[in-house]
Amino acid sequence: MEEKIAQIEKEYLSKIAEASTLEALDGLFLALLGRSGVITALPAGFRDLEAEELKRVGPAFNQTKKVLEKAIEERRQQVREAIYAKLADETLDLEAPIKERKGHMHPLTLFEQEIVKLFSKIGFQQFAAPQIDTDYYNFEVLNIPQGHPARDLWDTLYIDDKNPKPENGKLLMRTHTSNAQVRIMEEHKAPVRMMVLDRCFRYENLDARHEHTFDQFELVYVDRGLSMATLQYLSEYFLKSVLGEDTEVRMRPKYYPFVEPGVGIDGTCIFCKGSGCKVCGGLGWLELGGAGMIHPQVLKNGGIDPEEYQGIAWGPGLERILMLKHGIQDLRLFRNGDLKFLEQFR
Amino acid sequence: MKVSTDWLLQLVDLKCSVEELVELLPLRTIGTKEVTDRFIELDMKGYNRADLLSMRGVALEVAAITDSQLYTSEVYAQNLGDLPKLKVEVEDDQLTPLYCLAKIEGLKVGPSDPEWVTKLTDCGVRTVNTVADVTNLMMLEYGQPMHAFDAQTVTDETIIVRLAHQGEELETLDGKKRHLEPTDLLIADPSKPVGLAGVMGGKNSEITDQTTTILLEAAIFDPKALRKTGSRLGLTSEASKRFQHGLTKTRLLQALDAAIKMYQQLGGKLTALSIVGDTTDEIKKVELSLTKTNNLIGVTLSPEQVQQYLEKLHFELEHLDQDRFLVHVPYFRLDIEIEEDLIEEVARMYGYEKIPAKELPGQAPAAIDQKKFGVITDLKHKLVKAGLTEVQTYPYFSTAILTNFGWDKHPEALVKLANPISAETEYLRQNGWQNLIEVVDKNMRQGYEDIAVFEINKVYSPPAEEHYTLAVALMNGSDNPVAELYQILRGLNLDLTENKRAVNDFEAGFLHPNRALFYDYKGKQVGGVAEVHPRILDKFGIGKRVAIAEIDLRPFV
Repeated sequence: MEEKIAQIEKEYLSKIAEASTLEALDGLFLALLGRSGVITALPAGFRDLEAEELKRVGPAFNQTKKVLEKAIEERRQQVREAIYAKLADETLDLEAPIKERKGHMHPLTLFEQEIVKLFSKIGFQQFAAPQIDTDYYNFEVLNIPQGHPARDLWDTLYIDDKNPKPENGKLLMRTHTSNAQVRIMEEHKAPVRMMVLDRCFRYENLDARHEHTFDQFELVYVDRGLSMATLQYLSEYFLKSVLGEDTEVRMRPKYYPFVEPGVGIDGTCIFCKGSGCKVCGGLGWLELGGAGMIHPQVLKNGGIDPEEYQGIAWGPGLERILMLKHGIQDLRLFRNGDLKFLEQFR
Repeated sequence: MKVSTDWLLQLVDLKCSVEELVELLPLRTIGTKEVTDRFIELDMKGYNRADLLSMRGVALEVAAITDSQLYTSEVYAQNLGDLPKLKVEVEDDQLTPLYCLAKIEGLKVGPSDPEWVTKLTDCGVRTVNTVADVTNLMMLEYGQPMHAFDAQTVTDETIIVRLAHQGEELETLDGKKRHLEPTDLLIADPSKPVGLAGVMGGKNSEITDQTTTILLEAAIFDPKALRKTGSRLGLTSEASKRFQHGLTKTRLLQALDAAIKMYQQLGGKLTALSIVGDTTDEIKKVELSLTKTNNLIGVTLSPEQVQQYLEKLHFELEHLDQDRFLVHVPYFRLDIEIEEDLIEEVARMYGYEKIPAKELPGQAPAAIDQKKFGVITDLKHKLVKAGLTEVQTYPYFSTAILTNFGWDKHPEALVKLANPISAETEYLRQNGWQNLIEVVDKNMRQGYEDIAVFEINKVYSPPAEEHYTLAVALMNGSDNPVAELYQILRGLNLDLTENKRAVNDFEAGFLHPNRALFYDYKGKQVGGVAEVHPRILDKFGIGKRVAIAEIDLRPFV
């Protein structure tokens, strides 16, 4: 048996040394270590050996296996380096036809474009705020000071900042699009109708229902004469358009420190249309967004007189609505680049 | 807050069924997390209604929204008697506005009555023993956390409430030795710390089976100081939650009184008592205008309706004039500060769901420049039309990218997170195309033989710069995918100028030595198209040629 092992080693080491392509090496790997490779087949013969002989054969077998594996890997690297060296002979040739392919837009982009179109019709315009922002814009100006219990609502990712500027507080990954609220008021005189659509980030462990990276959509609307009835209009306008005219919409009390009154937005369940089913937990309603009348202190922080103007902040959960609409079971599919998933959307 | 249904029904003569209450709660007050036949769990995360962290507070709210009567009166009959005082020293009355300590003798520690155990269990609290269970029951009923020290272990039966000294240590009830900071508020006796105020008691003063005399503490501490200590030590509890939401002196005295009565029922005797600090709650007064109320809600309510709604919630109203009330806020509503808070109370009592939709008032404001948003949308349309599929990837470089591209040797070039969720989210991506290599790999493993993907998203560089880039990756099975990708890019008509410079030393680490073409836009380099060096692809296990492109979109948006 020992001889047989030595024989295999010798024979294959020379074959490996002679191999000059990766394919040849793959073939040798299979011949040795594949399901019916010569190395793989060896231990079957060990059963008939004397205990004494086995003591010698075992280690020899392991040794040979290791030597051959290493030889293949090293040869592979040599072959690769030879291939890499040949790259120097290749030139930049830019002539080629473009293949016919069917392209696909990401479902979030499609949804966001639908939303932009919908709200442009009633005078809302897009606004961009930074993704890396200060504690000041993300929390302080929104009535969420340091040490406030409401900070528990946002598990925040902070930047490792070498030169922090204490006046703005720590740098962080924005936890919501609401970091745009006071910026909008600072940059534009009332009345304003703005919409913010962008990525937000949280300290969240990934699973089918939790994401650390997600998209938010938010309206910031400041004018004279706004009321919760205006807010109800916006909710109906959006949800009926996106989920169907027969969708009913209702408001519920909900707490966010930067609005008062605070509002949770429910729509009738898109599966059972309100009669109660598994998806809505028998309630007939689905929680689809958060909103409220902008807190007078936040308006003041943005330089707007709350005695003269009212504000509405309003935002549905984008991914949640898309998941409901398309029956998507796993939140992670939006950002893992899976073409099978993405090719369903046009 | 887990609200025991049985207990609630002992406090409120509920006019509707429990099922109806469960349906009404989210419409009038607060969402529910879980409902069983034993309890209704209120979703208190981040919520500001401190009063709903007690059975009595919930009972008041439930009575108001269901038009029911309370069985218990709200009047507090203080009957603590004329007793000797204990030695209590409060170092800072800002950090400890009220501190009460009662000495109770003649107790016998044992298992609690089954009725108590049921109440505790329904509210999600474990039974410990009679002495500890009293403090927990009172915390649940009144929202006031209490702590019992074994009197024998407290030197001279003297309590000092002070900040910790540098280097001081305390073994807490969970058996862990805690290194204290000078910002930690301590309960101490003259010789040692015996507890972390509002966070956790000390092991050295724990109630044991032999305890017969206790020092019962009921206090209000500065929530911010407690939150700081609690989060540093990773200690949160039912008690710390209540301290942080805020407590009232009235409820504290009610709870103390009720706890003493329960200890007396267990055979204990109150022999000394100290109350350090002011015991009256400030009654806030807030003006409310009927016109503003109706304008902000968008309905027309009569003054009588507004008054009735608020009175049900125990607000008291004075008429100032035709339009305005002066509203006295009940002591337990710490969340009410301004007129809008009162308007929310009116709105929810009326019913948010009854508010009708009204069209947007006023004119749409003048248009502002929206060019940058249009540029990105147009570009995406062109790319899809050219046959590419849009992907979105995370804003981070995975550990595979960090090592395979050698970023681990240049971490200073990347924006780093201070508290990453894992190594996969520690560094923000500096470019877009490298994440697409992972997308190519993933889909090749699924059997794709032709992959053309793009992403338009932000990339980041230190200290906190961010901008949009277009990244593209093409694997078309050929040995020269750059050619096709080049043709695709040309079709986008981005007005780019070709720059035939050679690949530099740094780029040579990950790009084909000859197959790279760089682009300028108005004289500035903005990106390029190139074949990825197979050495990199081999590390990912990609056996085909891959071309990539990246364009910095700053000049375009």
